[in-house]
Amino acid sequence: DEIGLIPCPEARYNRSPIVLVENKLGVESWCVKFLLPYVHNKLLLYRQRKQWLNKDELIDITCTLLLLNPDFTTAWNVRKELILSGTLNPLKDLHLGKLALTKFPKSPETWIHRRWVLQQLIQENSLPSLATKGNLGAAPMERIHRLVQEEMNVCSEAAGRYPSNYNAWSHRIWVLQHLAKLTVKVLLDELSSTKYWVSMHVSDHSGFHYRQFLLNSLIRGTVTDNNILVQNQMVNEQNPSLQKGEESAGTEAACAEEQSVDLPRRLDEEMELCAELIDNYPGHETLWCHSDETLNNSHQSPATSHMTQAMDVDGLNESSSKQGYTQETKRLKRAPVQDSLGPEMEYQFVDKVLSTCRDVDQARFATAYRKWLVTFLGQ
Amino acid sequence: RSAYCAASVASLTNILTPTLFAGTAEWIARCQNWEGGIGGVPGMEAHGGYTFCGVAALVILKQEHLLNLRSLLHWVTGRQMRFEGGFQGRCNKLVDGCYSFWQAGLLPLLHRALHARGDPALSMAHWMFDQLALQEYILLCCQCPAGGLLDKPGKSRDFYHTCYCLSGLAIAQHFGSGDLHNEVVLGIPENCLQATHPVYNIAPEKVARAVMHFLQYPVPSLDPAS
Repeated sequence: DEIGLIPCPEARYNRSPIVLVENKLGVESWCVKFLLPYVHNKLLLYRQRKQWLNKDELIDITCTLLLLNPDFTTAWNVRKELILSGTLNPLKDLHLGKLALTKFPKSPETWIHRRWVLQQLIQENSLPSLATKGNLGAAPMERIHRLVQEEMNVCSEAAGRYPSNYNAWSHRIWVLQHLAKLTVKVLLDELSSTKYWVSMHVSDHSGFHYRQFLLNSLIRGTVTDNNILVQNQMVNEQNPSLQKGEESAGTEAACAEEQSVDLPRRLDEEMELCAELIDNYPGHETLWCHSDETLNNSHQSPATSHMTQAMDVDGLNESSSKQGYTQETKRLKRAPVQDSLGPEMEYQFVDKVLSTCRDVDQARFATAYRKWLVTFLGQ
Repeated sequence: RSAYCAASVASLTNILTPTLFAGTAEWIARCQNWEGGIGGVPGMEAHGGYTFCGVAALVILKQEHLLNLRSLLHWVTGRQMRFEGGFQGRCNKLVDGCYSFWQAGLLPLLHRALHARGDPALSMAHWMFDQLALQEYILLCCQCPAGGLLDKPGKSRDFYHTCYCLSGLAIAQHFGSGDLHNEVVLGIPENCLQATHPVYNIAPEKVARAVMHFLQYPVPSLDPAS
């Protein structure tokens, strides 16, 4: 379940450099300078049609190569060919990738190949005829669910191995968009399962960005502006998941569990999480950034959306193509919000931080946040 | 990243047609997120490298106004580190010499876009970042004694960091907008580099020459007979 390099500059004994202990695979470092060029050369000769390799040899050689250097695209591509010809089980590549990521948690090519494999697996899963939509058996759904859960684990592990692991979190978002179809249940599950993780990684901007993604998906799936609300109701009354082209094939949408979302409460909970972390861990810009954006979203929630139409959009004229994803980047000048205690509590929170903190960065973030509160909320 | 490479190549070689980039500008705009910066694909975290590529591609496609320029400006200016003077690639990360170009390089692009819409508040002598502080970081912290430049002290040199530290230094030293030019050079005058083109990151004269050269040839068509 894990690979690693054992620092060992000289071969002292005449024995194999491979060490296997408690399911961890180690390679003594002295052998890499012999092994890597050897397998690399063998693969290149095969690709140049100068030396034939049979399927088993190809699988072994690419496996060795990728455990030493998973960013070697050609090796992954050879495995793509083996998968397409039916010789290699795609699940093996998921396992190989997972192993490579224990040592190379950022490896872009590993994540890219992983997405290709997952796409192959969903295509195998989907039924050819549209007439069967809604009549899928339990097995394919269950399979996809298990795949999704496994991907969440792999991402979480990789995120823990390298701070702000952009590629791991990007992959996680991709899996939700393309495999899990962004159903309400999935979004809420992910919010709860990442809560502990982000509390343990308070500077991990990627982790908090993921939570923004989850919250934004919940918001967009229910109400952002009247256009989208109407569209959802007309197209699919049951399912709040996104219907946008590249995010949802819609095939399994009908089977998604229904769960209503108490959005204001979720956003309040997020604010509480931020406040607690900011108190406990002074001086982390990510937390303030996250708090800022969450508060912004909670003031564009359904309860206050009727006010948005009358208000000016601050600043630039934007083209109407900027709906959807970037809704949240608009700042609205608005009258004081009457239906929420949010602002009052925020002022109290910030003033408390300012009066008690001794960390210079914390003071700076709090001051900036306070200025933003005044400007944005106009109170 | 790919969109920028394509736009850069196509525009320099005069093969840019509306069909080639149909929908591209709108897609790039969708990569701008709540932070104000731009991610690799829609939904991703804002990132200096992707933000530069996205904005530069939109400048080439003349569609930079699809972006929320204000939130972008807010995001990128927030990425200059107040202690180090260099730039970080994303919120709450460490400074890195290569972002001297990816991030600081956004300010000339933004200046141009805001100027085009007649913004009265633009400076006539400076970019909207601390040019001297960036130069200090690059010159004092990013040079390898044996030659070449690097990410931050303690890292080893490589060609990528050498390229982008130097590119960032050039951006920080040269302000230019229309006929206005202003040089801000930290240290001795010999520190001054040649200016670089903020979209293509090659010398402005080279951009001009490439464009002139390829304008001589017609835009290739998809007609097999030709």
